Amino acid sequence: MFDLDLRSRKPIYEQLVDKMKELIITDILKSDEQLPSVRTLAQQLTINPNTIQRAYRELEAEGYIYSIKGKGSFVSPASVKATSEKLNKVKEELVKLLSEAMYLGMTMEQLQQMLSEIEEAVKGGSNDD
Amino acid sequence: MIDVKNIHKQFDRQAILNGVSLSVKKGSIYGLLGSNGAGKTTLLNTISGVYRQDKGNVFIDQQPVFENLEIKEKMVFIPDTLYFFPQYTIDQTASFYKNMYSGWNEERYVALREVFGIDTSKKIHKLSKGMQRQVSFWLSLSAMPDILILDEPFDGLDPVMRKKIKNLLVQDVAEREMTIMISSHNLREVEDLCDHIGILHKGNLLLEKDIDDLKSDVHKVQLAFKHDTPSSLFSSMQLLYKEERGSVTLAIVRGDYDEVTAHFQNYDPVIYDILPLTLEEIFIYEMGDAGYAIKNILV
Repeated sequence: MFDLDLRSRKPIYEQLVDKMKELIITDILKSDEQLPSVRTLAQQLTINPNTIQRAYRELEAEGYIYSIKGKGSFVSPASVKATSEKLNKVKEELVKLLSEAMYLGMTMEQLQQMLSEIEEAVKGGSNDD
Repeated sequence: MIDVKNIHKQFDRQAILNGVSLSVKKGSIYGLLGSNGAGKTTLLNTISGVYRQDKGNVFIDQQPVFENLEIKEKMVFIPDTLYFFPQYTIDQTASFYKNMYSGWNEERYVALREVFGIDTSKKIHKLSKGMQRQVSFWLSLSAMPDILILDEPFDGLDPVMRKKIKNLLVQDVAEREMTIMISSHNLREVEDLCDHIGILHKGNLLLEKDIDDLKSDVHKVQLAFKHDTPSSLFSSMQLLYKEERGSVTLAIVRGDYDEVTAHFQNYDPVIYDILPLTLEEIFIYEMGDAGYAIKNILV
């Protein structure tokens, strides 16, 4: 399903949580879809089952997944939280990029023009549907 | 599952273990790390009931281990120097194991032949070092132990075989809640496998912790400022280590990720990087604290 970077400094369980969130936010894992069992995932990724259990517990606590006793874990129906989290991420990225653009000499006018162009393009796209 | 309480062990009046206590939960993979000569092998030998401790207790399922057949039947110990009966073939050794371990699983023994692909009519002592290691894993896993104790287990195995064996171990942990204790120097190797680690130094356990807690507790921070570095920067921080590299300050701090980030952002740094530590860095840092620091000696 996915691969982990065992060389990364990030703890494996954090990587797992982030990967799962990404898959859920991007709708690759659909609402109410069953997640692979701890056993399968441990075997596929060759990592400690306790680590996976911990990641699943964390995801459940944050509301991304829910579990049914004896059946396994499932993706929660699209939550507001998921979108707001994604929005926060995008905002962070924007701040970084815009700071760089301003540092390189982009003016407010240019930015505003760009924004209106983007708005136009996004609207135009939805009209085509 | 495994409870070690205040163990002391001496050889020739030289103390090897000085009151080590640790506990391993069922279904956990516990990594035992330590400097050379710290007493790892002695500790593992004591836990598996090969050595009798001078003082203290080793309990497995609340029962003392030493000379306890019932416990030993559910436990396999793979030492760092393997021992096989001279002139025995793999099949002959397997039938010996079958008599010793009541949980022996013949189906599994046959199935694992696919994995290892070694001719079972070969004499074990004629195999290479790495192949002998494979045979020891093969036989151990066929005995279906509840507890597996491994001393430097991946020595002499190639990367493919290492991955295969790790995969087999992980499956047994997931399916049967097998408990594993591993000692190793190769920290990368245990980093992805273990959920708990203990660090042993000069016969004492320096620390014992959940690996993820350990990693999310300590951070490596890189900072740079436009002007001078503010003097009060680390005042309220638990600073473990600090180094100035030109205008960049490198520090190792303890604390919650969000709190640390918020604290440093207050000073408005131009460069701010926060990274979790690798197990190797944690090991080196903890060892340095215990007076086993890295010294670069010119010769």
